Amino acid sequence: MKRSFLMGVAALALMAGAANAADLKFKPGEDSKFNWASFEEFKKGHDLKGQTLTIFGPWRGEDEALFKSVYAYFVEATGAEIKYSSSENYEQQIVIDTQAGSPPDVAILPQPGLIADLASKGYLTPLGDETKQWLLDNYAAGQSWVDLSTYNGKDGTAALYAFPYKIDVKSLVWYVPENFEDAGYEVPKTMEELKALTEKIAADGEKPWCIGLGSGGATGWPATDWVEDLMLRTQAPDVYDKWVKNEIPFNDPAVTGALDEFGWFARNDQFVDGGAAAVASTDFRDSPKGLFTSPPKCYLHHQASFIPSFFPEGTVIGEDADFFYMPPYESKKELGNPVLGAGTLALITKDTPAARAFIEFLKTPIAHEVWMAQTSFLTPYKSVNVDIYGNPPLKKQGEILLSATTFRFDGSDLMPGKIGAGAFWTGMVDFVGGKSSADVAADVQKAWDAIK
Amino acid sequence: MNPSTRSPLTWAVHVSVLLLVVLWTMPTAGLLISSLRDKDQLAVSGWWTALATSSRNSVARAPSADSQVERDGKFVISGNFLGGQPGQVSAFGFSSREPAKFKPGETAELNDGERLTVQEDGSFEIVSDKRMEGSRGQRIFFTSATPPRFTLENYGEVLSAEGIGRSFINSLTVAVPSTVIPILIAAFAAYALAWMPFPGRAILLAVVVGLLVVPLQMSLIPLLKLYNGVGAFFGVPAKTYMGIWLAHTGFGLPLAIYLLRNYMAGLPREIMESARVDGASDFDIFVKIILPLSFPALASFAIFQFLWTWNDLLVAIVFLGTGQDQLVLTGRLVNLLGSRGGNWEILTASAFITIVVPLIVFFALQRYLVRGLLAGSVKGG
Repeated sequence: MKRSFLMGVAALALMAGAANAADLKFKPGEDSKFNWASFEEFKKGHDLKGQTLTIFGPWRGEDEALFKSVYAYFVEATGAEIKYSSSENYEQQIVIDTQAGSPPDVAILPQPGLIADLASKGYLTPLGDETKQWLLDNYAAGQSWVDLSTYNGKDGTAALYAFPYKIDVKSLVWYVPENFEDAGYEVPKTMEELKALTEKIAADGEKPWCIGLGSGGATGWPATDWVEDLMLRTQAPDVYDKWVKNEIPFNDPAVTGALDEFGWFARNDQFVDGGAAAVASTDFRDSPKGLFTSPPKCYLHHQASFIPSFFPEGTVIGEDADFFYMPPYESKKELGNPVLGAGTLALITKDTPAARAFIEFLKTPIAHEVWMAQTSFLTPYKSVNVDIYGNPPLKKQGEILLSATTFRFDGSDLMPGKIGAGAFWTGMVDFVGGKSSADVAADVQKAWDAIK
Repeated sequence: MNPSTRSPLTWAVHVSVLLLVVLWTMPTAGLLISSLRDKDQLAVSGWWTALATSSRNSVARAPSADSQVERDGKFVISGNFLGGQPGQVSAFGFSSREPAKFKPGETAELNDGERLTVQEDGSFEIVSDKRMEGSRGQRIFFTSATPPRFTLENYGEVLSAEGIGRSFINSLTVAVPSTVIPILIAAFAAYALAWMPFPGRAILLAVVVGLLVVPLQMSLIPLLKLYNGVGAFFGVPAKTYMGIWLAHTGFGLPLAIYLLRNYMAGLPREIMESARVDGASDFDIFVKIILPLSFPALASFAIFQFLWTWNDLLVAIVFLGTGQDQLVLTGRLVNLLGSRGGNWEILTASAFITIVVPLIVFFALQRYLVRGLLAGSVKGG
């Protein structure tokens, strides 16, 4: 009995080991849409046989499998072994690891506020002027990406510490086209039309929106996306920048105005599935499911480009579900088409040849194209082939990213952690709970004053 | 005691004990039942309705126009959206606004002149006079009643695809040595502190007891730093099983030494003295007399330490990290909450796999727990 158990354990361990050897998703040289030349060139320039590269990233589950399919090409090209790990609490994990002196070689993080903190403590290695020039030359709106990736180091000098890779577009409204057809609704072109549509759906006795703010310890963040989106649609971009840096107070009329705009949607029992009381308690991963039930619980859902991961199994994007760009106000034409986004940034947390090589790898088109050809990956990289995007909606989002007149990174991620990942979140929960926008904004400002 | 003479208080005690037992076992029962249910049924109704036939509204998509066949000059797409599973359709429709407009057997006229018929068993037929076009199939809304269905598929999926199986072994790899090592060390130390006179013994004991108050959370980072430094000196990489075994050993030792010493000090002196007269060395006394006599205390501490290391998340993610081949069960569960937060069938099955080992350990050894806790409290206990 004991022996057979041990053998079973050994066999399982062996199988788990074998499963790690990932195959290449697309055979090099086979599909001419991919930039295989870049892969071959990278392969020639790098030989890291016998070395191990540890990567710590935010991706788990499906995204992790997708990322694995990308770094398999790095492994194939260099012969290095990659150990990827991730944690639900990656914010704390990376702080523990860097402080204790056992950081991964490369960390990939979605929070500039956190990265600024790591850089200021001297845990990051600058990527150098060459990478900075590369971003300026190769990324659409290159300067804004360089600004995003530049942080003050331990000695106070600014340097480029991060490489943006995998961008999410946030200003999207998801809907089910067939439900729109059945009910005779049209996709709105302006915010005024969107509001009229919301009222019309409510008048038909249905619920227009599914909004869920629940996310465990991070409950409230989906509402910050709403507010940021509405900020960009009601105020000029420089007001947004000042808001993020607290150069205008959080309880400025510009900010409370955006809060109230969000309140117009979320605090009306007629406009949200389950009523306003359900908004804070519904999990953001569960809330889009209301679009697909029979009969539909709602018709519209505001969320970033990653949300199809949480649609019911087998949902085909572009057929079963689609999205439209969260429209700007007709009355504020001068603000153009602002796009709110977020993304992950790759950092060198331990300066090894393999870590350097990995950043070089991220500069090859192939590192972007492999993921693009699958799902939930967008890039501002100008020289990748946009026809490679796995489906038409993804291509549409990629083009939104490449042609945005204003692109702004998620404001709550740019704010200090205690605000953007704390007071702002809890403030939004209070706000949908019925607290007035002025009180909520004053509370957040108070928290901000406390950490200054 | 005669039942009739029982005071009302006894009854109150019994009823409240019963209530507490129900209250404590209910979540576990719910977890087990949920983990065994079909995932579609789990999504629409609670576990307490597991035995009832459930009625649900769903949407199915007919095959695309590619699959149409020509029959008697008409074009037909047919299929069955219950997919051979038992169930009964009670209503259907083709518009999201009227998902239950038609009864099974009726024919619905679609917007573009096609005719849709759905039978009670879920089979449907779309008939058109002209060739149908378009890449996506017609949506069919239906209300169906399905009998309860229990399955082990959830466990299969969790063990293979979600990496729970791998983490199960990781957790065992962490918990078993982390239980055995501190007990080994603590037993020796406890014997020495109880029965071997040497200078400074009382102070040493006081220091060990004092270590009980060191908060684990405060010492994590310094300890990890120390381990990384020493490990680098010997060429041992950071985040290995060795690290977490040492950490759990360190955190478990003070309590283990304290408990075992108290127990061993309570053993009758006469046994040891007579053994010594017979020429036994300290090692002989320890192995042949003390260890067998201390079994209840050893077992009760082993249960505590095993449950603690098995359920631990903090020490594991700090010392072992979150790599795929090292992630422990608790860490995997937390990650699943993030990536599969809406899939209750996955979460419940994973949770049940996680608690099953502690349950087995507890039920197998609980008699020692009761005995062991009282160990040393009364003379000869």
